[in-house]
Amino acid sequence: FEAIESYAITLGLNKKYGSIDLEKLRCLAVVVDIEAAQDVANVVELLQWLTTIGVKQVGLFDSQGLLKKSKDLILETVPGSMLLEEIEKDVTPDGKRIALEFISSSDNKEAVMKAANILLQRYLKSSHPEDDKGEDFFTESHLNDALRVVGENVHVPDLLLVYGPIRSHLGFPAWRLRYTEIVHMGTLKYMRYGSLLKAIHKFTGVHQNYGT
Amino acid sequence: MLSLLSTLVALPFLFLIPCLFITSYICFPVFLTKLLGLIKFKAARDDDDNEKRDEATCVVREEELQRELMPRHVSFILDGNRRWAKRDGLTTAQGHEAGTKRIIEIAEVCFELGIHTVSAFAFSTENWGRDKFEVKCLMSLFNHYLKSNIQYFQRKEVRVSVIGNKTKIPESLLKEIHEIEEATKGYKNKHLIMAVDYSGKFDIMHACKSLVKKSEKGLIREEDVDEALIERELLTNCSDFPSPDLMIRTSGEQRISNFFLWQLAYTELFYSPVLWPDFDKDKLLEALASYQSRERRFGCRV
Repeated sequence: FEAIESYAITLGLNKKYGSIDLEKLRCLAVVVDIEAAQDVANVVELLQWLTTIGVKQVGLFDSQGLLKKSKDLILETVPGSMLLEEIEKDVTPDGKRIALEFISSSDNKEAVMKAANILLQRYLKSSHPEDDKGEDFFTESHLNDALRVVGENVHVPDLLLVYGPIRSHLGFPAWRLRYTEIVHMGTLKYMRYGSLLKAIHKFTGVHQNYGT
Repeated sequence: MLSLLSTLVALPFLFLIPCLFITSYICFPVFLTKLLGLIKFKAARDDDDNEKRDEATCVVREEELQRELMPRHVSFILDGNRRWAKRDGLTTAQGHEAGTKRIIEIAEVCFELGIHTVSAFAFSTENWGRDKFEVKCLMSLFNHYLKSNIQYFQRKEVRVSVIGNKTKIPESLLKEIHEIEEATKGYKNKHLIMAVDYSGKFDIMHACKSLVKKSEKGLIREEDVDEALIERELLTNCSDFPSPDLMIRTSGEQRISNFFLWQLAYTELFYSPVLWPDFDKDKLLEALASYQSRERRFGCRV
């Protein structure tokens, strides 16, 4: 039934998915497992689908950084794509562009470790009372700043799509995942446009209480 | 069932395609070319089977699970108490009471199945923003259940730990937490971790601050700080297995919600559509069956 529904959505037979309000989806992240990351063609196709849907910013993650190595090829092949940091510097924003960010495991725990080192160095170099517990040096916003110094993006993805056999985010930067909706999409090799559209549409209807 | 349907859909095209080459008189509707490109029925069937497990449509018997493939640490995000109460015409307090009872029932089932560590996201730092009466009710419930179950946990030899910020927790509850942790700290084979006033970001910041104290005491140098060191300072350092193998969130929401951010890197995430007070042994077995059917690679190539 899932497959048939997906085909029906793709063919435009279900009007519910005719137009999607993407206001809530400012940043989308995609996790692919290592085997999928080795086949860039599927990743490119996925990005083309996302561009068609109207997604403006996509973070691409694989634990080993294989997609980072294929960055140039992907940017050349996906029309309108640019690196996120270049779009942020661009003073003449073009609505047709899609901003891409390439992420790997080194941007997760290793990055937090480097940022923690920066905070530790700042604290030790500062003049502080003996009984100071570091409250003025170790807050969430301090760690955000330190992560930026290390070169990391701290933007929180609204939606994370996981492509692979395992339902795990495989080490996507933990600091960014606090309220991110995480959806398992199955294997990338057998991805379906209809399923992608359905997942994004479902996300736009999600309501979060944020714990309150 | 799905493979039969897929076969029925594919059969007409298997007939039409040769006909198209044989004669130019057959009209081949444009949209069918799109459909041909999308037919991948075998893979679709495999992926759909996996999705069906998340929707709790299959019944699993305990004998079907393999003991040697049991996760060592299962974590729960206990979502849905308030919706459960509203659905059944009960008060929020009754919903939370049913939810609290369920933690202990499910933990017992997990231990019987051979799972070593069970952790539960009982109260998040963000939950302090809820109605004051609800918060007070929750604190009383935790107090009551910890106090009344000390002997139970001792009899079952379950070690109980409570992790979290704890700075805003009432004194009476802090006292009960200390008592139960002391009374059960010697048990090694079963561990129940309750996360109360817990935040994943706070956990990481707390680890960083711990490093400051150690650095000032000369116990570590700046260059010693690495991932392993940070991990040892996280609040889950009370556990032999700090990273969950399986995380189950109930009520259909598909988020981590600031729980175990660092620890969940390679954790299998299972979303159950049932509300937490309805999550019983059958639902747990389904989640475990789904877990055992996965091939976890921890980010490495196979």
